[in-house]
Amino acid sequence: MGYLSTICVLSCINIVAVLGLAILTGYTGLFSIGHAGFMAVGAYASAILYMHFGVPFYLALVLGGFAAGLSSLIIGYPAFRGAGKLRGDYFAIATLGFGEAVRLLLNTTYKYVGGAYGLTEIPGLTTLPVALGVAFLALIGAHNLMRSEHGKNCLAVGQDEVAAQMMGVNLFTTKLKALFISAFYAGVAGGLFGFYMTYLSPSNFGIGKSSDLLAAVVFGGMQSLIGPVITAFLLVGIPELLRFLLDWRLVIYGILFVVVMVYRPQGMLGYREMNFRWLWAAIRWLKPGKPKQAN
Amino acid sequence: MEKHDAAKASPNVLEFKGVSVQFGGVRAVNNVDLTLARGEFLGLIGPNGAGKTTLLNLISGAMPPTSGEILFNGQSIVGISPDRLCHLGISRTFQNIRLFPKMTVFENVALGLHARPNYSLTDALFCTPRSIRREKQNIERANGLLDLVGLSAYAKKHAGDLSYGLQRRLELVRAMATDPQLLLLDEPAAGMNEDECGNLTKLIRSIHQEFGFGVILIEHHIQVVMELCRESRIYVMNLGEILASGTPMEIQNDTKVINAYLGEKRTTNGRTRRQISRNC
Amino acid sequence: MTFFLQQLVSGISIGAIYSLLAVGYALVYSVYNFTNWAFDAFMVTGAFAAFYGITLFFMPFAVAIVFSIVMTVGLALFVETTAYRPLRARQAPRLFMMISAMGASLAAVNLANILFGGAFRKFPDIATGAYRIAGVSVGKMDLFAAAFSCVVLSLLWWFLERTKLGLGVRASALDTVTAGIMGVNNNKIALIIFGISGVLSAVAGVFFGAKYAVFPYLGLVTIKAMIGSIIGGIGSLVGAVLGSLLLGILETMISSYVSSVYRDLISFSILVLVLLFFPSGLMGAKRVDKL
Repeated sequence: MGYLSTICVLSCINIVAVLGLAILTGYTGLFSIGHAGFMAVGAYASAILYMHFGVPFYLALVLGGFAAGLSSLIIGYPAFRGAGKLRGDYFAIATLGFGEAVRLLLNTTYKYVGGAYGLTEIPGLTTLPVALGVAFLALIGAHNLMRSEHGKNCLAVGQDEVAAQMMGVNLFTTKLKALFISAFYAGVAGGLFGFYMTYLSPSNFGIGKSSDLLAAVVFGGMQSLIGPVITAFLLVGIPELLRFLLDWRLVIYGILFVVVMVYRPQGMLGYREMNFRWLWAAIRWLKPGKPKQAN
Repeated sequence: MEKHDAAKASPNVLEFKGVSVQFGGVRAVNNVDLTLARGEFLGLIGPNGAGKTTLLNLISGAMPPTSGEILFNGQSIVGISPDRLCHLGISRTFQNIRLFPKMTVFENVALGLHARPNYSLTDALFCTPRSIRREKQNIERANGLLDLVGLSAYAKKHAGDLSYGLQRRLELVRAMATDPQLLLLDEPAAGMNEDECGNLTKLIRSIHQEFGFGVILIEHHIQVVMELCRESRIYVMNLGEILASGTPMEIQNDTKVINAYLGEKRTTNGRTRRQISRNC
Repeated sequence: MTFFLQQLVSGISIGAIYSLLAVGYALVYSVYNFTNWAFDAFMVTGAFAAFYGITLFFMPFAVAIVFSIVMTVGLALFVETTAYRPLRARQAPRLFMMISAMGASLAAVNLANILFGGAFRKFPDIATGAYRIAGVSVGKMDLFAAAFSCVVLSLLWWFLERTKLGLGVRASALDTVTAGIMGVNNNKIALIIFGISGVLSAVAGVFFGAKYAVFPYLGLVTIKAMIGSIIGGIGSLVGAVLGSLLLGILETMISSYVSSVYRDLISFSILVLVLLFFPSGLMGAKRVDKL
């Protein structure tokens, strides 16, 4: 039971972070390979706020998220400001740099942070109900956001930003919004992670972690929330079950990225709105009652 | 609303004064003067490479002019970003269709209604009554627009899956969703056969009559332009310059235009026929 | 003063390695408008191939370089044909191409990690020792690296400016579609471009490995090359060289006064500053979207 509980908690944490990346990459089309950096900011910020400044747990999580969101502006503001095709790549490069810069800073700062030794003795406040609750809220939130006008604007930017701009979408603010929100999600996930593992080390948040998140979005499907959510769960569960493949995990992901992009870019459930029509249809089908008359 | 206040300021919705665009050594647009009155329907024709799309790009803010003034409702719009221009009332379609392929027809149209969001992120996050109300409005208006052009049946289809003719129509109605005062149409009839052209012409005419915005229409199908601009003007461009302007009758008989674009008069069997010149 | 000069020399020598990578990156970018994330894998392949060439097969250094180039170009062509070409043919969105490139990079680099282990390997002593010029110590390997880079870049310049194939490459850089219509074989050009990228990455990998160490994640250095390219103006080859040299110098100078540990942080800060204040870089060309 404890083992299953671990997988569930880690899955929930993964789901929250993946939802963030889905908003940024799956919907708004912005490639990021540094999302682990945002997780790190949130993780350390919330842990430190709780342990050294007496901030209550949930507030610390939220503040950690905000810290991550604010840090995202460091790359978002310069990278999104100008116009032109070049900007997407600038941002991607900046995310890589950001992830590494954060890790470097964490490795070399010792006050509060613990440097390369890490941050220890964090209370294990992320229980299964907490993780499930946060993940659930995160999913509802992301769903509401993406269904709203803001979300549709992000979507348009992801599909054809030039046309979106011509139709009146402000590219700069839209991208910045998407980035902030996705960083916030990653920060909260990082916070949950810290309070679960009770120990944080900069090495938890390297390119491997960023790649894990990206994998969930790519395999789960672009422009979809439910696809990446399911994949986020699978990508925690499967490597646990197939321990021997753990080292090969990234190699397999790498190959699958290419394969998916070439053969099935929509991933598992890409481009599908999350709705529950299938659920109602299944319920109707299962209900015993008068057989339908053929017309 | 700033849009309609500005409208009262000037009789002309659009003015070009001595506008030029230079790309390196090439003058894509050379000293162009142009006026468009409120609600007027202007045709813009000319051979490929004449600078017509560049003109549209200038108006929609995709690029700045190298020199000259561009006035919209009496105010200079040089250097204003395309999204801001859209809010001021300029909207357009594209030579190569630029729909959002993986968004539904409905979503494509609705974008024009909410490109500038009408409620805050927090409203969106918590599904407040305000956001729900606004979404209902959006749905009504978007569906109304789709009805107008006969695309209601396709509302839930991905725009990329539509046939070419329907995509053109969708582009048109998407541009209208932004409530423009000036609509720029870049070859809306491209690739269409005669029937489709006829339908499109009827559609554009009825839309123009109902909504009354100014239109600049670039087209190579001369029948479409002549038909739509019957009661207004056509500008003819060649090599970045305005060659001639006037009513359809006038430009059809203008020798410069004939030589550059419409083709020389040919006499066959005692009847004169005009041929579209080879360089269109 | 000597300290300053010493740092300058040091900065130039690392800048030279960055510029080799940056040119390879800028070349691919200027033609295909996308970032070849996999070129860190190219660099790693170059480094490891040379390393094993020398240690396992006892090749002389010159032969090892050639061997490394061959292996790397092989990888580059493989990645181009499997991960990029199918997407280009479909005109896939740039996001998809970036994901594919990232995939290639992940697969190759982590495979290297599994096969060779993460230990830092030192090249056996090849050209150690240094010359003293005006009181400044200039490593022999650094000189060699700088000289070799010059040679390689000159060859590249000659190829692009003076040969017919090079003309085809430059035409493709301006307008791939038209170049194709004009008879340029786009697939062949792609192979050439990635081949060149492979050569440059291999040489950079060898010298980096010789200067520091060989390990699977040395490809992270390529981000410096990308930053250098941005400083110089993305898409410009000359800019890539200048930008990378400048980055190498700045990075070395600043970190010598602050602390060498913060080297990467300094580059990142330089990137942010450049994006904020010099978005087109030193020599960048503005590109207008075709509407």
